[in-house]
Formats: sequence, C-alpha cells, structure tokens
Amino acid sequence: MIELIAAEKIYRRGSEELHALKGIDLDIGKGEFISIVGPSGAGKSSLLHILGCLDKPTKGTMKVDGVNVAHLSEKKLDEVRRKKIGFVFQQFYLMPGLSVFENVSLPMIFNKQNTDKKKIAELIRMVGLKDRSDHLPNQLSGGEMQRVAIARALVNNPEIVLADEPTGNLDSENSQKIFELLKSLHGIGYTIVMVTHNKDLASRADKCISIKDGRIL
Amino acid sequence: MIFLKLALKNLKRHRTRSLLALLGIATSVAVLFSILSFNKGFEEGLSRELERTGIHFMVVPSGCSHEVASLVLHGSIIPKFIDLSVMDKITAMNGIEFASPILVAQLPNTEKERVDLVYGIEMSRVRQLKPHWQLDGSVPKDDQEIILGSEIAGHLGLNPGDTLSYPNANSTFKVAAVIKKTGSQDDAFIYIPVKTAQRIFKKPSGATAIGVKVRDAAALTTITDQLSEKVPGIQIVTMNQVMNSISTLAASAKVLSLSIAIIAIIVSAVGVMNAMLMAVFERTQEIGMLRAIGASRFDIFRIILLEGMLLTISGGFAGIIVSVAGNDIIEIFVRKVMPYVPAGNMTHFDSGIAVVSLIFALFVGILSGLYPAWHASKVNPIEAIKG
Repeated sequence: MIELIAAEKIYRRGSEELHALKGIDLDIGKGEFISIVGPSGAGKSSLLHILGCLDKPTKGTMKVDGVNVAHLSEKKLDEVRRKKIGFVFQQFYLMPGLSVFENVSLPMIFNKQNTDKKKIAELIRMVGLKDRSDHLPNQLSGGEMQRVAIARALVNNPEIVLADEPTGNLDSENSQKIFELLKSLHGIGYTIVMVTHNKDLASRADKCISIKDGRIL
Repeated sequence: MIFLKLALKNLKRHRTRSLLALLGIATSVAVLFSILSFNKGFEEGLSRELERTGIHFMVVPSGCSHEVASLVLHGSIIPKFIDLSVMDKITAMNGIEFASPILVAQLPNTEKERVDLVYGIEMSRVRQLKPHWQLDGSVPKDDQEIILGSEIAGHLGLNPGDTLSYPNANSTFKVAAVIKKTGSQDDAFIYIPVKTAQRIFKKPSGATAIGVKVRDAAALTTITDQLSEKVPGIQIVTMNQVMNSISTLAASAKVLSLSIAIIAIIVSAVGVMNAMLMAVFERTQEIGMLRAIGASRFDIFRIILLEGMLLTISGGFAGIIVSVAGNDIIEIFVRKVMPYVPAGNMTHFDSGIAVVSLIFALFVGILSGLYPAWHASKVNPIEAIKG
C-alpha cells in the first residue's frame, strides 16, 4: 500500500550535503503493524516525513496505493496526507482551549467535511475517553492526551497511522496502555507504523525495521 | 466556526500580549471615533445655531472676518464701532425688513469683583433677533430693565424681579427676564437695551454691529452688493460666510486631528503585527502539526488572519466604549481649545460613525494580520516531527 523504492533524502546545509536516507526500499502492506527503531540521527524522522507525505524523497519513488507521490505538488501532497494518513506525535499536540471532541474533529474540518458527531463520539469511546468528550487538554493526563491524538488520527479513515515516538513522553505504565491501544487498532484492521526508542515495544510489532546511517539493516 | 474559536483561544493563550496590542488599537480607534463624532456634532451644531439667528447679515466696521464670525455667533468684543448713521442708509433701502444695532462691551462689576459681558440689543426686536430664546419673565419695556443669560443669572444669584447695580456706571437695573439655558454663549451675557448701553459706554451713536433681516432671502446678494457700493468703510458678513469661515477653521482642525489619529492607528497596527508575528514564531511546531493533520496553507492563513481581525475588532469596540464614556471630558477639552464651538452636545453617539470606525479597525486587523498569516502559512509541516 505504501511502497518506497530506492528512496534517498539529501539535505543541503550551506555547502554541506547531509545524506539522511541512502536508498530505502520498504513495502508496507495493508493491515501491517511495523515498528521502526534506530539511534538518533539514523534517518528515522526523514523516513517518517516521507512516509507521511510531509516531505518528498530527493531521489527514488514513493507510492501510495500505487500512485507515485514523489513528484506531486504540495497541494496534492496535502490532499493525500489529509485523506490517507493519520498522525500521532510524541508531544500529543492537542490544541489547548479546544475540547477533546473539537480536537478530534479538526482533521474532518480541514478535510471540508461536516463534522460527523456520531463517528467522533464513537472514536472517543473506542480510545476509552467516553466521559471526557468535553474536557479540555489541560484537564487530561499525558496518556489520555495521547488517546485523544490517536482518535484524531483516525477520524478521516486513514489508510495508515504513523506514530512518531507515541510513548516517548509517557511513563512505562501509560506507554504500555498506548501500545495496547495501537495493537487493538491493528487488531481491527488498521495499518500502523510506529517509530520508537523503546526496543521492548518495538519487538512486539509484527515487523521491526532497524535503521542506521540512512539504511535499513 | 471552529476556526473562530481557535483564533479566539489562541489570543487568550498570550493574554498579556494580546491585551497590550488591543489597548493600542482601542486607543487609536477611540481617537478616530471621537474626532469623527465630534466633527459631525460640530457641523450639525453649527447649522442649527445659524438657523436660530434671526438675521440674514451683519454690517460691521471693515476688519477681520473671523472676528466678525465670532461676534455673530457669540458676541465678542471688537474695539471698533460703526456709526448709526449707517443704519439710516440701510433702512432707507428697498427690501429691508429691519436693521437693528448691537453693542457688545465689558462692564466691571465692583460688587462681585468681576467683569460682566454686556450685550446691548434692541429690546423691541429681541423676539426677531433671538427667536429660539425661552424667557422666564417678560421682555423689558423700560430702559433700565434687562435680560440675563442663565449662566450669569446663576453666578450672580439673580431671578426675575431682582436688581443689579453697577455703581461706577451709575446704573441700577431690574431683571425683567432670565433666558432658559440655551447651551450657547448666550447664557453668559447680560442683555441690556442698546440705548442704555450706548449711554453707559459713551457711544451715543455707536454700535459693534448692525444686524439686518431682508424681506426676501433670494434678494440677499443684490441688497448686500448695493449696500457695499453705497456705504464705504463697512463690511457685510452674511450668515453663509460666517458658516464657511467657521467650517474652514473646523476643517483644518479636522485634518490635523485625523492625521494624528492615523499615525496612532499605524503605530497600533505595527503593535498588532508584532504581537501576531511573535505568536506565529512561538507556535511553529503547532502550526506544523495542523498542516500535518490536514490543514491547508490557506486554512492556516485564515486562522491567523482571523486572530488579527478579532484582536482589532474587539479593540475597536473597546475604543468606542471608552470614547463614549469619556465624551464629556473630550467635549470640555475641545470647548477649551477651539475658538468656536456651537451649543449643544457635540459628541453624541452616532451608530454610523461607530460602524465606520469598526470597519476601519477590521481593515487594520486584516492589514496587520496579512504578513504574520502569510508567514504562518509558509510553515513546513515537518516542523511537527523534528528528530
């Protein structure tokens, strides 16, 4: 469903060239649960940017549902991202001042859809925050905030959920719970890619990819 | 709707900064609103006041027309006199309904240790010269009877029937009437029969001015042209000229004050722009996240622009409220600094001007929000995931 073929990413910093990804081949099939591990600076973030259609590879091909997106305009890429990709971030990134419900509804609004209240409520229930729909982010614990972020990532029915260190800001107990939640989403058919430092959690995914110096080991 | 909420919440997150920027906008909109309101009130008051004077033109000794304008409207003292022989020539002309002398001077009041303003007027013509007066008492019939303006009556503590004496002018007057408050300078004068004034001031055939009413206002120009040909050494000031003369003065004051308001608005707009830019810089990651979860550049642009508009429009509202609340202070101030201000309340609330001021505030919001919004829309979504 997402396919990277000989993808390279080169950043230019002044006259210096930084080869962040050096020919990555990766095929993510529907319903897979993949974890990506690697030391910092290995190219995890660059890979995630490209998988998430936040950035384009400098060389190579990146296909989403068979369509090469490596040469799409920014606007088209926005659309692919909006429709097919759900993001979960390390810092949760909920909008302060907006309720749980409103935070979850944001991607729907950006997708110019009417907010489907039933669906949003259902997602909030699914992540275990049924009674917190009207709470503001500052009334929630870290684990709860990440649950909201996961519900938000699912609201546009994405093909794939990309989680960037989803447990990086959580204690081990909450990390476990968030991992269990992702695992249960996988259980009901979602495709999940998780970047993590936590080797224990990474090893419990279907497939664990190690990356170092811009290459898959 | 959620964008509006988002913008509002964003402003609330930087409460102090938003408030300071809002204060700047509020101040400048208050200034703008006050100037526009005052100007409208001034123009309305001016034409209202001119309609009230029961004469078509004034004949005065040649001199400065602004001086004359101020004489016509509130009776200033001009140290030049016109001889009453001119009056006979005027009344001899065709088409004149009446001509009436006015003698304005100061009279020391030794008892109260003040100088009173005395306005010599033909009592038989009071109803025609000052049609808007409402008298408490009756029009004087005798040459020792006077009318008091409400303000001076209050100062001197006099009511109809009381007496007022000026020992050094050898005169004792009986108060025949007190004028109900007009809100104009009429309130400050002591109106005495013009003959008595001429005697006291030892100008038996002198007048400060002669007020003239013609039978047919359409023939006004013909009459004034003929008159200035026939009688040398006089100046004719029509009410239109007075109006123009004051309007010109007011217009230059308006230009000056509006430029100050515009500078204030520019400064506050820069303040808003600065506050918004800082907010955008601080929220780079968050904006990146919004882009990542599907917001288009235009969505981001809209949210930030909306913040600017919200900020300035609420500043505009605050400014108008402050301006309305501070109306009286502004009016007192303007009455002090302006050479002539018509009677009545100048700075009443005008919804049209309020709307114009708010639209202006909104426009300032859009202008000062454009750059920050554009900047925010350029934020790369990869900012959300920095490894």
